[in-house]
Order: sequence, then structure tokens, then C-alpha cells
Amino acid sequence: MRALFLSILYLSILPACFAGVRHFGFIYEAPTSAPGSFELENTITSKDGDEVAFRHEIEIGLTDHFQASVYFADWSWTESRTHYDDAAVELIYNFTNPVIDPVGLSIYQEIRGGENFIEWESKVIAQKNIGRFIFAYNVTLEAVWEGERLAEREGEFSNAIGASYEFSPRFSAGVELLHECVFPEWRDAEKIRNVFVGPNICYRHANWFVTVSALAQATSTPDEAEVQVRAIFGIGL
Amino acid sequence: MSRLALLSFIILGGCAAYVPPVVRNEHVDLALMQRGRTLFAQRCIECHTLPPVWYYSREDWPRIVDSMAHRASLRPNEREAILSYILAARDIPVERAR
Repeated sequence: MRALFLSILYLSILPACFAGVRHFGFIYEAPTSAPGSFELENTITSKDGDEVAFRHEIEIGLTDHFQASVYFADWSWTESRTHYDDAAVELIYNFTNPVIDPVGLSIYQEIRGGENFIEWESKVIAQKNIGRFIFAYNVTLEAVWEGERLAEREGEFSNAIGASYEFSPRFSAGVELLHECVFPEWRDAEKIRNVFVGPNICYRHANWFVTVSALAQATSTPDEAEVQVRAIFGIGL
Repeated sequence: MSRLALLSFIILGGCAAYVPPVVRNEHVDLALMQRGRTLFAQRCIECHTLPPVWYYSREDWPRIVDSMAHRASLRPNEREAILSYILAARDIPVERAR
């Protein structure tokens, strides 16, 4: 209790430093948060309106090129019930800058754990800023173990690409595309390929931002959502 | 191949116009300018794209940097480095910066 009180006190006396804006809903960007910055990021993802997933995340800038995030609660709402899913740790290291260097590059690692569930997700993030355009690309490899004794396994390889145009320092909009290859039991017998594409918008002001992306399935995979909508609300602590 | 080279030149030239490299000059502290350029390209893009340094006047830039310094977690010396870089870079002709 004392630790919780001290944590709240510490956060309350920190200046309102901002960790950074997300211009895309489903794509990560290469720059990392400024050292000493703290941000609370809340993400809501709806799949066809039937299943809604919530994520609450604290993002911390540790050095000029390294940031860490803690997803302290991933929970979901399905069939009129709420369910706590998991918690996670995410680390991002930035190598090059998307403005000064030919391409901005970062690597990303996430480890997630819940009841009978472990996920390991690695990404390479590339970004290039040209004038008011931001171009971003992520390549992701994901491994999931779940179920009794973590016996069920699944792999996923995905590519995501997006572009965003800044109409004003506060407002930008763009498009993003997600291509997934899913491997149940690490086999490609079912040839599951999903493509999602759609627009995104981002509004930012003072120490907060809101980003919304809506992606429609361009393939016809029956078990996948037809439409995924993600909203991210971030605020500097 | 020549089209690719031309495209690369346009893209990189365009980027140089946004964050011109520091040019050696007896009136500038080169280390401070380099630090300012790095911070400008690193911290400011966390929220927005970079305007060309010539887009705002010399009088406007200090107010603009001040208004965002806190959000970008800039310490006073980092704010000074960014401002020094911007004010020096905005006087460099674009051709020279490339």
C-alpha cells in the first residue's frame, strides 16, 4: 500500500513530459520516447463489434534510444462478459533516425503472459519522414503458446506498411495495410493469409493524443474479423 | 539507374532542407550545433513532422521551441542547443546545405 502511495506521489510530482504520438493504429514508429518521459496509453480494439480488447500501458523513455513499456492490464469484453487476459513488457531500441539517416530503424521485443498463455513477439520497425509524410513499415514474428500445459502453439509472420500526412501540427491522416500469415501448430497446411487495409487519423494537443484506425479485411478468411477498429488515447504523465 | 539516383538525390536533398547539416563556421560552436541538430531530429518528431527551419522567423522560433520544450522533455541546455542550431541553420542557403 505504501509502495502504491509512493508511486502515485512520484508520478504526480513529475512534469507532464510526453512520450510520443502514435500516428498509426496498427503500426509502430521508429523514434523512441525522450529519456525521463512517462506516458499512459490506452488502446481499445474492436473486432466486428463482437469482441472488444482493452490495453492499459505505461511507456517510459529510458535513454535517448531506448524505451520500455509495461502493459499492466490487457482485458477483453466478449459475449457480455469481461475477462482479464494478460500483462506484458515491451522494449524498443532505436538505431537510426528517420529524418537524418536514409531510414530510421528500431527493434522491438514484447513478452506477454497470462493464464495458460505466453506470447513472444519480435519486430523490426522502419520509418522514413519526408516533409510532412511519415512512411512506416513493420515486419513481425510472433509465437504463441496457450491452453493446458501450453500445448497449443501458433506462429504468425506479418508485414504492415503505412503512410501518414500531417495536415497541421495537430492533425494527420493516412492509410495502413496489414498482411498476416498464420501458422497453427507452426504448420502452413491451412494457408491462412489475411490482408487488412484502411484509414487512420490522429489528433494531438498539449500532452495528449488520439489515434483511430479502421481496417477492413480484404481477404475472405472466415474466422477473422471483417472490420477491426482501434483507438489509442495517450496522455503524458 | 539514373532515375534511382535522381530520386535519391531529390529525397535526401529534400530531407537536408528540413534539417540542414551543420556547416563549419568561425561564429558557431560546432559541437553545440551537432547536438542541436540531433535533438531537433530526434525529439521533435516524436509528435510531429519537422517544418523546414526557414518556415518560421528568427523571432518566432524561440517561442515555438519554448512552447514544446516541456512536452519534449528538453532540459534547458538541450533547448538552447536546438534553438542555436535552428537559428544558425535557417541562415544557410539550401544549396550549401545539400
